[in-house]
Amino acid sequence: MQGWVTLALLLSLGVKRSLTQNGLGEPPVPRGLTSNPDLPAQTLSLRWQSDSSLFDLEIFHTELMNVVLNETVAVKADPVTGLHSWTWHSPLPLECTSLSVHIRARNQLSVSQWSPLQTIPGSDIPVKSESYMFPQDKMVPVGSNMSFCCIVKEKEDFKEIMYGRQEMNATRLSRRTYAITVTNQPASGNTGTNVICFSQRLTLTGAVVFVGYPPGDEGLVCETRDLASAECSWKKGRDTRLRMKRSRTKYTLNGRDCLEANEKKTWWCSSKVWEENWTLVARNPLGTVQLTDSAQLTDRVHLLAPANVTVVEVKAWSATLQWSWSVAAYKKLEMVCQLRLFTHELSSTRNYGGPGLSSVVLEGLWPDSDYTVTLRCGSKHSFWKWGDESGPYRIHTKMDRPDALDVWMWMDSSNTGCVFWKPLSVRKSHGALDGYEVSQSSAEEDGWTTVSLPPGNFSYPIILNNSSDITVAVAARNPAGLSQPSTVTTPAYRADSQLSVSELLGTNGSFVLSWEPNVNASSGYVVEWFPTGCSGLCPVDWKKLPESDSSFTVNSDSLVAGVRYTVSVYSLSTGAPLLLQRWQGYSQEMIPSQSVSELSPNQTGSDVLLSWRATDMKQQRGFIRGYTIYLANAAHLDLIANITDPEVQSYRVKGLSLSSYKFVVKAYTSAGEDAGATVAIKMEMDTDMLFVGILVPLGIMFCCLILISICCYKKREWVKKAFYPEIPGPKVPGDWSSPQGPLDVKPSPHSLVHIVESPEWDFTKEGLFPVPEEEEESENDNIEVDTDSDEPALLRYYNQVVGDGSHSNQVSDSSGSSTASVGSTQTEITYAGIQSPTSSQGVCGGGSYRPQMQSVAGPKIEFEADFQDDGLNTGYKPQGSWQLDSPEAENLSGSLGSPTSVTSSQFLIPECSEEKPQPPNTWFHNLLSGKS
Amino acid sequence: MEGAADSDTPVTERSAADRAAALARLLHRDCTRLLELYKERESFLSQHAPGGERLVTLALCPEALSTGEQVGHVRSALRRCMGLLECLIVREVEEMGEELEGEYESLRKTVRDRLGHLLHSTGALLEEGEGGCPPSPPLQCTEGQDEVEASGSFAAKIWTYRVLLELIHWTDSASQTLHLFHSEKHGQQQQLL
Repeated sequence: MQGWVTLALLLSLGVKRSLTQNGLGEPPVPRGLTSNPDLPAQTLSLRWQSDSSLFDLEIFHTELMNVVLNETVAVKADPVTGLHSWTWHSPLPLECTSLSVHIRARNQLSVSQWSPLQTIPGSDIPVKSESYMFPQDKMVPVGSNMSFCCIVKEKEDFKEIMYGRQEMNATRLSRRTYAITVTNQPASGNTGTNVICFSQRLTLTGAVVFVGYPPGDEGLVCETRDLASAECSWKKGRDTRLRMKRSRTKYTLNGRDCLEANEKKTWWCSSKVWEENWTLVARNPLGTVQLTDSAQLTDRVHLLAPANVTVVEVKAWSATLQWSWSVAAYKKLEMVCQLRLFTHELSSTRNYGGPGLSSVVLEGLWPDSDYTVTLRCGSKHSFWKWGDESGPYRIHTKMDRPDALDVWMWMDSSNTGCVFWKPLSVRKSHGALDGYEVSQSSAEEDGWTTVSLPPGNFSYPIILNNSSDITVAVAARNPAGLSQPSTVTTPAYRADSQLSVSELLGTNGSFVLSWEPNVNASSGYVVEWFPTGCSGLCPVDWKKLPESDSSFTVNSDSLVAGVRYTVSVYSLSTGAPLLLQRWQGYSQEMIPSQSVSELSPNQTGSDVLLSWRATDMKQQRGFIRGYTIYLANAAHLDLIANITDPEVQSYRVKGLSLSSYKFVVKAYTSAGEDAGATVAIKMEMDTDMLFVGILVPLGIMFCCLILISICCYKKREWVKKAFYPEIPGPKVPGDWSSPQGPLDVKPSPHSLVHIVESPEWDFTKEGLFPVPEEEEESENDNIEVDTDSDEPALLRYYNQVVGDGSHSNQVSDSSGSSTASVGSTQTEITYAGIQSPTSSQGVCGGGSYRPQMQSVAGPKIEFEADFQDDGLNTGYKPQGSWQLDSPEAENLSGSLGSPTSVTSSQFLIPECSEEKPQPPNTWFHNLLSGKS
Repeated sequence: MEGAADSDTPVTERSAADRAAALARLLHRDCTRLLELYKERESFLSQHAPGGERLVTLALCPEALSTGEQVGHVRSALRRCMGLLECLIVREVEEMGEELEGEYESLRKTVRDRLGHLLHSTGALLEEGEGGCPPSPPLQCTEGQDEVEASGSFAAKIWTYRVLLELIHWTDSASQTLHLFHSEKHGQQQQLL
């Protein structure tokens, strides 16, 4: 029993499972799976039969069984065929390696069994033993991603894959297949981007990929040139970077191939008939662009260029231009034509209108002028654009008579002048001039006298033989004829000195003039200007103004800076021009180009008078406003004076000392100073003043001496009492035969006593040295003589240690007594500075003073004896103590009270004169006594 | 006839052979430069080692014995090269159009013209008494393309590279052979004098 139950359960389970597999519970396995690879498109189309509509798909790389796709898709069966189809786009070329596909049906509860594997063989199967790379010659847009695979040759190893110059990371797909993926590809070069597969030793294989852009054309415009056909053009857009012929952009216009664009690489297409709507399709392997345009034919008329442009009639002032049209339909078209005239550097345009316009008359041309004409036309109604322009056509107009000349007459004296006329411009000459005809007539002569001048002349001299005015007519002549004559009557000559010439200041290089209107100026005014002081062929310029004008500006173009101009205004009437006003001025003042001339100094005592002459007017280059005088020092100029009156041309520099001076004089205008003229002077002593300076004080001193002498003479008694009192006679105890007289002490001419200070000595002591007179001056530097002391030297006492050898040498030439005194080293002596007489004085000298009555016999011997005696044994005797009892004292008493020299410290009254005792009645004594 | 030409012909032959040799040398330099330019354009070729058989083989003519026969041999190879070059130009113009006018394109045209002159001058040498190989049949451009293993732009580039190598090889051979030819002629002339 139990065995049957078990069997029944097993059977029931088996039935249930069988029912499920048969579609009751589990969907049936899809049948008839087929695959259809599209290698260029890298797609795999699968088809199968099944009752289900939901399927699981799995795709493997066959060799390594790597799952490439595992996806559940809902696919309905085709109602006609009953087949399910699904397409898979492979990221890799299908040739890279073999693929295996299987499919199973799915419902909500369960899935069927997998269908048998369907394998798509790749190129890496053993029967294909060579190397391959996929894909080949692919065209992709810039920025796209792309995979390449390399199938390595049998028995060859793999090294790397290069994308251009870039080494890529490769992934192995099968035994022989390696793949790379390139992202964001840049645009290729002209021949594409190379993708190369390398083995360790050689290049295995490769591929080329073309990376570019889809077409970028834009702006389709269609128009007609012949009023029937159409020409459509557009702008080429971005470069597609696809150079290969098969990848170039192809164009179609309204469905027709555009041969002009596809073969000639232009960007226009033509159509034989006008269609109001136009569609241009631009296509390359990477994309398509569609451009459209829509217009009526009459709105898009673009005329061709006029043909056969020519001039049928040329005149001096006009020309007739004619042309033809190559399209017959133009003849009825209402058109507008634009004519462009070029002459020299100028151009002008003129528009003309009319149906089928084919000729125009050009007015307003200039005679004897070259013109170049171009012409273009357009449709007058619904103007679209100007048509093509004709080629340039050259026109030369005929000549005509010249215009009248601008004539003026300039008088440079009362009977000479010159007729000037301005050259005619090309516009006014109307042809090359052959010359001028100048005719003149005077009131006293009938008829005209005519002179022909060549074309280079622009003036003609006029001479007035008498006081009557002359009228001159000037006309220009060219091949077409003679111009209207221009007449002018000689204006009255007025020198500047006869007028009040105003000073004219330039304004920005110009002269701005204004004058009072003149009622007689029926024919206007003439403003005339020329360089002041000009003679001969002067550059006279003028401007004729209407009578309504009373001001004028002489432009800087006709003026030269730094040149003085004379500007005159004349009124014009039927007769001679009448001078109204005259100025002189500079359009622009400059500093003088030349310094003052003839600069000279003239010394007067301590003063210097500088004088100079102003520079010539041509060199002034401005109105001289004054002069500046400088004293030139080593490196700079010191301004002495600024003379603001230009008429003053001298200056006195006062109070100069005796030295050398250099003066600089500069003239200045409103523009500044010139370089300056320099003059130098050396101040010298005035000899007259020198004489005066010497003689006057001498005279005064002489007069004073005379007055003092007179005064002293008148008051001699008083003077005698005051300065020369009576000296009592000495009391002589003995018998003195010789008459008594005052002690006459005569200073030694060769020995003076000098008081010196020696640093070697004791400063508390001073020595007394006899000094030779002739050495006094030379020794003044070293020996200071106390000549300024008020204390009489006679009364001075000096203590001195005597014995210095050097001092002995110094006084070696002195008298023997002095030498003996100085040379004494044995006795310290105090004595009065009484000079000892020298040996040359003969009897007047000696070792000591002697009484005057002493015998004069044998003075030399006596002197030597005394000298030896005194020098060797006794030396000097003290003289400072006066002992009237002693003979010596008595001898000296004669000198006491005698006047002494304040400088020599000697008695002024000599001890003796010659060899005889001097009587007391000397000249001074006589003077004081009133004796003659 | 040879005796009649003794006085004038040797000088002409010598100078013609000399000029042909100089032209071959110049052409060899041109071809070398052309390959350099092509390598600048296709940079991968600098690492490429050419493989496979020669595009131009010597099977067209049995091994030459004399220098004159060698000249004929080389001339046959140059004719084959000329055919390949013309195919190359056609193919490149077909692919790229004629708007590219760089140095490569200019020199490519120069090589073609000078190769034509060299063929003409060597043909003139052979016509004056020297034997040569029978003329090769004209080359069909499709034939050249068939010789590469694969189709496509990459294969065409490899093929172009091989054609340029053949040009360099055979212009070098022509230069040497013509120089030898000229030397021999010159030696014969010296012996005659």
